Amino acid sequence: MCRPVLEGEFVRLRPIVVDDANITLSWRQSERANLLNDGAQTLDQQERWIAGRPASELNFIIELIDSTPVGMLSLIDVNHTHRRAEPSRFLIGESVLVKGIPAAVEAMLLLYRYAFDVLELQRLYGTVTEKNKLMYKWQRFLGMKEEGRLRNHLFLAGEFQDAICLGLTYEDYWKISLPKMNALIKAGKQTN
Amino acid sequence: MSKKDAILEVIYEAIADLNDDKSEDEKVAATMDAILFGPESGLDSLDLVSLIVDVEGGASDLLDKSVSLSDDNAMDQDPVPFTSVASMLDYIMGLADEK
Repeated sequence: MCRPVLEGEFVRLRPIVVDDANITLSWRQSERANLLNDGAQTLDQQERWIAGRPASELNFIIELIDSTPVGMLSLIDVNHTHRRAEPSRFLIGESVLVKGIPAAVEAMLLLYRYAFDVLELQRLYGTVTEKNKLMYKWQRFLGMKEEGRLRNHLFLAGEFQDAICLGLTYEDYWKISLPKMNALIKAGKQTN
Repeated sequence: MSKKDAILEVIYEAIADLNDDKSEDEKVAATMDAILFGPESGLDSLDLVSLIVDVEGGASDLLDKSVSLSDDNAMDQDPVPFTSVASMLDYIMGLADEK
């Protein structure tokens, strides 16, 4: 699978490289990431993790147009037979730098657009821990629908948590996601 | 309680919910002139969406009608409804008064 650079008006998504190990490790170890699955604990582990990403994944750094890295976002388990994939590892690491900018929403838009319009997938899916209310509301607002609940599926922050299963079809993307995302980006252009 | 006060309460409750997970210096002021979106806002996209979802839900329940702060009608407003507490209140009041 090719490793594209996806350009937006506020952010771009570029492929993650081993040199991003330091900053991505710091993001993964921040308090904001404590509801994500455990990641690397050392720089060496993070470098090896980045170098070892399989061909079925697209792993991006979210960077501002001036090339400042502010977060990460992946599309994993890309399956061209069933035409589905899982958006994952979404993390805004530099939250101060993106205040007032629709950076996260445009990053998601770029990923969704690539998944549906370029890779021609039919479905995106994923899980979010029940404790991550901010991410649950975010995904629902952007069109994901709740499809089930996996009880005690995750062990995070020292406790078992339910995982909520979410899914987005190509039709949902066109009818729900795109209008909402474009609305927020349009508003961002008016105020920035 | 007037309709205006009830809507304002919905907005302030959504802000309070958002503030629950924030440190003191990150908290959003629950005031009429609080800026919610744009360069002067302290919110990122995830915070803003959380606030929009909670206000839409609360206002829809309160008014017994669907309230969207990001549909075509909302996005035609200048400023857009989620720019500030005041603009959010004005827009929802307008929806409440629609027949």
